[in-house]
Amino acid sequence: MAKSSEESPSRRTFMMVVIGLISTVIGIALAVPILGAVLNPLFKKRDIVWTKLGKISDLNLKPLVPKFVPVYFRVKEGWSVNTLPRQVVVVKQVNGDLLFFSNQCTHLGCPLHWIPARQKFLCPCHGGMFNITGQVVGGPPPRPLYQWVHKMEGNNVYIQNKFKDNPKDRGI
Amino acid sequence: MFKQIQNWFDERIGLTKVIEEFNGERIPRRGGWAYTLGSVLAFLFTVQVVTGIFLLFYYVPYFPIARNATYFIKHHVIFGNILLGIHLWGAFTMIFIILIHMARVYFSGAYKKPREMQWIAGMVLFSVVVVLGLTGYMLVGNENSWWTINVLTNVASHTPFIGGFIREIAKGGTETSVLTMQHIFAVHVWLLPIVVIMFIPIHLFLIRKTGHQGMALEYKNSKLCDDDEKKWQHPDGTVPFFPDQFYKDMIVAIGVFAVVYILAVYVGAPIGPMYRPLALNFAPEADWYFLANEELLKFFPGHGLIIFSTFLIPSIGFAILFALPFIDRTKERSPFKRPAATVLGILFLLLLVYLTLIGGEPKAPATV
Repeated sequence: MAKSSEESPSRRTFMMVVIGLISTVIGIALAVPILGAVLNPLFKKRDIVWTKLGKISDLNLKPLVPKFVPVYFRVKEGWSVNTLPRQVVVVKQVNGDLLFFSNQCTHLGCPLHWIPARQKFLCPCHGGMFNITGQVVGGPPPRPLYQWVHKMEGNNVYIQNKFKDNPKDRGI
Repeated sequence: MFKQIQNWFDERIGLTKVIEEFNGERIPRRGGWAYTLGSVLAFLFTVQVVTGIFLLFYYVPYFPIARNATYFIKHHVIFGNILLGIHLWGAFTMIFIILIHMARVYFSGAYKKPREMQWIAGMVLFSVVVVLGLTGYMLVGNENSWWTINVLTNVASHTPFIGGFIREIAKGGTETSVLTMQHIFAVHVWLLPIVVIMFIPIHLFLIRKTGHQGMALEYKNSKLCDDDEKKWQHPDGTVPFFPDQFYKDMIVAIGVFAVVYILAVYVGAPIGPMYRPLALNFAPEADWYFLANEELLKFFPGHGLIIFSTFLIPSIGFAILFALPFIDRTKERSPFKRPAATVLGILFLLLLVYLTLIGGEPKAPATV
């Protein structure tokens, strides 16, 4: 019969080491799949798609008057394919150049309102303010408005569900 | 008959003795009503668990179907409005009473040696309950939920170094999607309640192990000085937990429950509009307990300073609260004998109330 821990101190040490080892093995074996499930999103590529916004001539753009145009991205999210409706704010500059902004505040992502009387985009959450060219003119936002990645094919505009100059992939 | 059943259990596991041991705890007698706050919280948590489980009979954590499921519970399930209302107002009441409980413990110096661990366990419970409130707000699946998810994950993304990862892990990707809702659901329904269920017994066990440690007014007749640890173990008078203290607990519980129930029936849980991702005039609002934090986010403009409002001030504030027993190591307990701590506490509460009030003011005009 094996000695009890009370009879032999070395046997006691041995038992404690075995208990510790078994706990560690079980712990690690469980932690690996759990960590995999938790960290999974970090290893998934984002689904990037081109979506047609429409013809520029149909938008009836006036210089320095923002036009909110909805765009519907059809993207894969997890196990499902969903439609993500988003606003594209098209601004025609005085020289005729077009800017394609997101209506998301660059502070924490609330939906911006265009206030014609003040000629500013206003954030309803924390009071961020942007002018018509997307520059911050007040409040806490850390950077100018996000611009959608876009391309022109003939008269048609295509938008990608991605922002320019956005290394950390902020925004929705 | 009952005697026989009692004997049956006693012969095997000594049940009567266990119950007497639990019920016979001696409680200092003068501050009985102040000591009911913890029991009320345990009671409210039980109510939250019970109502929550039965809300799950109908709830679907799928954006934006979730809002319709919540609407169905409120308008089509018999007494569903009461069930949902109790869950909402119970949560609000719970957070409110936690704040009172913490203030009571702070002002009566009850976090001091030997109760440091208890304060920390309590802080864990407080943090978890606030996150439970926020995730519950997100699970309604209405327009506010959508923007709360986005705003809070963006706040988290400003954590130094790992912020972007936290945001992606929480959302299940870079965009708010079906996976986001599923994650929030798992956290609200499984992960955090289990943490609470684990920490409540720890919190209670520590009360028994550290002994009475009542408020300063329990020791008026004591001749020992405040620095003597023996003083705090011998209050002037004690009563047994059952029925003296339990009776007071139950009176406060029925009062609080009545308030929650009346609010549930007559005010109910607002469901709010369906999420409209293209809405141009929507102004998201936070729940009342988050308004002070929300107000903080309006300050600190610009790229370099945003981290103050999203990370530094809240986390340093929390760290100070967590470490409170190790920062304030004096022995006095009476709020009148430690004026600095008392004044600081009152100023902090006033600041909190002020930020909450201005945070609740109407936001920027939707249209001018």
